[in-house]
Amino acid sequence: MTTIRLTGLTVRHRKAVALDGVDLALGTGVHGLLGPNGAGKTSLIRVLATVAEPAAGRVEILGEDVAGHRGRVAVRRRLGYLPQEFGHYPRFTVRDFVAYVAWLKELPAARTPAAVERAVARVGLADRIDARIGTLSGGMVRRVGLAQAIVNEPDLLLLDEPTAGLDPEQRVEFRGLLRELGAHATVIVSTHLVEDVAAACTEVTLLDAGRVAHHGTPGGLAALGADPDAPGENPVERGYAAALRAHRAAPAAGREAVR
Amino acid sequence: MTDNAHVWHVSAAAAARYADGSLPDHAAWSVEKHLEHCGGCATRVSSAVTATAAAGRALTDVRQSLLTAIAGTARATTTAPAADRVPAAATAPLADRVQAAATAPLADRVQATTTPPVADRVPATTTAPAPGRTPAPRPPRLLPQLNRLLKPLPRPLLRPLRLLRPGHPALRGAWLTALLLVGVGAVALDRADGFAGARTLLLALAPLVPVAGVALSYGPHADPLYEIAAATPSGGLRSLLARTAAVLAVSLPLLTGAGLLLPASGAPGAAAWLLPGLALTLAALALAGYVGCRTATALTGGGWLAAVLAPVAAAPGGSLTTRLAGQLARCLDGAPAQGAWAAAAAACAALLAARRTAYDHLERK
Repeated sequence: MTTIRLTGLTVRHRKAVALDGVDLALGTGVHGLLGPNGAGKTSLIRVLATVAEPAAGRVEILGEDVAGHRGRVAVRRRLGYLPQEFGHYPRFTVRDFVAYVAWLKELPAARTPAAVERAVARVGLADRIDARIGTLSGGMVRRVGLAQAIVNEPDLLLLDEPTAGLDPEQRVEFRGLLRELGAHATVIVSTHLVEDVAAACTEVTLLDAGRVAHHGTPGGLAALGADPDAPGENPVERGYAAALRAHRAAPAAGREAVR
Repeated sequence: MTDNAHVWHVSAAAAARYADGSLPDHAAWSVEKHLEHCGGCATRVSSAVTATAAAGRALTDVRQSLLTAIAGTARATTTAPAADRVPAAATAPLADRVQAAATAPLADRVQATTTPPVADRVPATTTAPAPGRTPAPRPPRLLPQLNRLLKPLPRPLLRPLRLLRPGHPALRGAWLTALLLVGVGAVALDRADGFAGARTLLLALAPLVPVAGVALSYGPHADPLYEIAAATPSGGLRSLLARTAAVLAVSLPLLTGAGLLLPASGAPGAAAWLLPGLALTLAALALAGYVGCRTATALTGGGWLAAVLAPVAAAPGGSLTTRLAGQLARCLDGAPAQGAWAAAAAACAALLAARRTAYDHLERK
């Protein structure tokens, strides 16, 4: 089932083009968003989070057009979002902070205390629920960010670099959580760690210079990197490099003409 | 400027003679008649009168006895039985609250800004822990004075106050410090230095405080949680309004109360800044829809300062505070001025309502 449909999505930051006519359709499952720095991963996630406004194109999320205020608010109720730079109030306890976000998301008051405890337990912070966020380590703060994103059991979960700051063991647990969430929701994870994608994602979208360079399954990407002599540590990494090379070689002339 | 000219104003010399009683009766009557419709002269004469030793002493005495009486009432309020305290707290003089605020340590107030926002919607979180979970002991986090003030109030009365708590991240440390600097600073200037223009200064700065509160409360530059809040259904204008309401709920009573503690000395009434303060705050909000919170508040605050200070710098004669008081009187005193502020506030509110969806994307504005 398609939950996100992007048509000709263009995003500009002042004069620079961050996304250049992206067409994309995504459904339930865990989608990895890969690409070099500046490829437009964060721009795409921020548009999907309804925080950034596209310069052109149509964005349809969960059947709603987010160009209108009504559609935007309807989508925001069903959204979970962990920004790349997760801002928080250090003097809040984990419980209060997650409950505050639940309140912002208009979760019914009667359900909030249980939802908060469940979300905090799912990210493995149950024993620190009454600690102030300012006293937690970087990885724990990151998990608080994940807890606030999932507190409303979102249908669309957007995670921008969620594994940054997690240690290897936590990353393994986190991938398990991703797979669990992706069973019922559309989860979009931006990352520069190729192994995250290989381990947890059902689909992968590779962005380069504001355009979709490759869209497929992690298996498909690995198949592109079948040549063991190409640079890269494992098949997915080699596939990543190969897909980027192919994209940059083929449509380069056409892209210049468009600009 | 002679006494028998058709249009004349009270000269500084005449004001001084009027103040010490040496002006002949017929001239004094002329002065009094003239003061009824000339704000500038009223300011000048008022400050001349206040400057005389006798009047100054009398005013000080009156203020002192008034404060003693207020303090007495406040003590009665805290010792009276609960049933009596409801009306007493509701009618408690502002002076009491302002003094309480002045004596509360800053850390306490900043701490108060981090009280959980949950309670209003989720009383269960704090009042009735779920079975099977031992609630962690929590320190009392509202500032004690406020707790004492609120406790005797029945629940229905409390609700509107608690509704403001989701807006509490607005009450940032920096802004609270600014608020206390203006409010408490003006009172301290008056008490310690006997500086006569304290209320004038307070009224000139007071409208800037809620405007600054708006700048510091919401938007990508001010709120660490902005990015997350903006992606929720409460983001945009609703969050901005909730936080502005919190800012106004704290600053309006505190600064008006501080104004009431200060001698008038030619300045307009202590409540005269309320409508302008509201109008400027709404103007900042309305502008924010076009240029973002930071620029909007800078423009509005700068505009107010320019309107008040520029004519003062250009105006001839009198001390700086006297001229400032005169200019403030022109901006704030009288039905036409207040009516204009009310109209401006209404116009800005209408603009806000019409452009409510513009606040969904405040970034990079």
